[in-house]
Amino acid sequence: MKKIAVDGEKMALVLWILLLLAIVILNGMVGDWGRLAGGPDNLVRFFFQSLWPPDMSVLEPQTYPVCTAQPIFDFTCSTAWKGVIETLKIAFVATVFGMVVTLPLSIMASRNLSPRWISYPTRFLISACRSLPALIWAIFLVILVGLGPLAGVLAMTIYTVGYLGKLQYESIEGLTKTPLDAANAIGLSRWEVAVNVVIPEAANDLISHSIFMFEYNFRSGTVIGIVGAGGIGYYIDLYLRFLQYDKVFAYLIIIYIVVLIIDFISIYARSFFTEEEYLATPNWRDVFIPSWTRN
Amino acid sequence: MGSENPIVSLEDVVIGYETESPLVSIPNLEIFPGEIVAIAGPSGIGKSTLLGTIAGLIRPISGSITVCGAEIPSKPLRGVLGYIPQKLGLVRHASVRHNVMLGARAGTNDRKERKERVTNAIQQMGLKEKSREPIRRLSGGQQRRVATARTLAQRPRLILADEFLSELDEETLAMVLESVTSYVRDNNSALIVVEHDISRAKSMANRLLVIDDGRVNPFITKPKAVVLNS
Repeated sequence: MKKIAVDGEKMALVLWILLLLAIVILNGMVGDWGRLAGGPDNLVRFFFQSLWPPDMSVLEPQTYPVCTAQPIFDFTCSTAWKGVIETLKIAFVATVFGMVVTLPLSIMASRNLSPRWISYPTRFLISACRSLPALIWAIFLVILVGLGPLAGVLAMTIYTVGYLGKLQYESIEGLTKTPLDAANAIGLSRWEVAVNVVIPEAANDLISHSIFMFEYNFRSGTVIGIVGAGGIGYYIDLYLRFLQYDKVFAYLIIIYIVVLIIDFISIYARSFFTEEEYLATPNWRDVFIPSWTRN
Repeated sequence: MGSENPIVSLEDVVIGYETESPLVSIPNLEIFPGEIVAIAGPSGIGKSTLLGTIAGLIRPISGSITVCGAEIPSKPLRGVLGYIPQKLGLVRHASVRHNVMLGARAGTNDRKERKERVTNAIQQMGLKEKSREPIRRLSGGQQRRVATARTLAQRPRLILADEFLSELDEETLAMVLESVTSYVRDNNSALIVVEHDISRAKSMANRLLVIDDGRVNPFITKPKAVVLNS
């Protein structure tokens, strides 16, 4: 196949054409733009009447069961803390299980490491795991194993395999060819090449994707709880049913803070593998401010 | 050389990426133990492609290549062939030691011997202080020494090196060249090296193959050049 050289101006033109096409399609779908006229006012009213101020009482200890923690740690008896911790546990276990299953699968799916008769069936399997969102997997698994965190863990593990698998085999296929050539020429086996060349060479991406998946699973955990698969989603669903949006807003703020912390951990972990010196010493600003704005 | 079996032999080999546009044709070439053969020629003529073809990474358009009696690329040659590509092929996020260990791993299955080979090769290349450093933190010259150490730890019968002496200062260049040539001499191995600096190629090699548009000359030992047609 003929390779196309990347041209910045042509790419910008293609992007403009795509944007124009998207606007035309959206216009066709919406039809009457007048309906949106009252939208911003409604949003402001909803925000100040129902969401603001967030009800941080979700961080207060529950009356039952009785809290046995020290007074300064009594927030650990709150629904928010318990929900966040359970969601983090589900996300952690699902991400680790997903990573363990994904790594050999992504090596098998990479066309630069495996023959086509292995790579294509593996890709079909990975796509199958990704074709249903975690929420739908959770519904099936709640039916299969009952309500609770196990259904959540299994649902997110399956989705992790689908999502992480694709990210990782694309990273592996994007690796520079020469280390693989050198290893193949000296006669190392496929297994040795995968373990000693591919994994260390792709370490930056593999770690970044895995931590991104952990963050994704944490956010998914807030949704799959709604179908009874455990975690903070259970409480969000509960307060949504009682129209207590200020409490829901408090949960959303807590989720946002946890996501930021995970993002910081991601940047810190990747700093060990980056070649860019300014990324090698991360600080809190890296989480909030894009690096290019500081050059 | 006469009665010895060649380490590499090429018969009626045509190389290139597409059948319609072959890069180089080589009617007959045999390289014997202890020989150092330099390949020179203008950029883009097919020197690196020839090396990659002998390494079994690129299929020849036609003809047959054997390395130590094994047809290339149908049989895997574990440890027999050492390869230093132009871009070195190092694992950039891994340490110097890890990279050198790749060569030792291909060279022997004995774990103790592997460690000894790695330690010796790193020491020989003057990289002892850097052995735990990731490759990406090393200079271009240091990276070339790591790639050479990887090959020395492997102890192959044939070394294929693509401009492995560039980016080295005079002193280091002499040290690296001496290490590799003495390895070839002492172990009855062979070295095929792509070298753009003709005078350096002439000084280090027993034979110089020049890939050019000219006709094919018989292979002559040092110092006369041989011309392959392309």
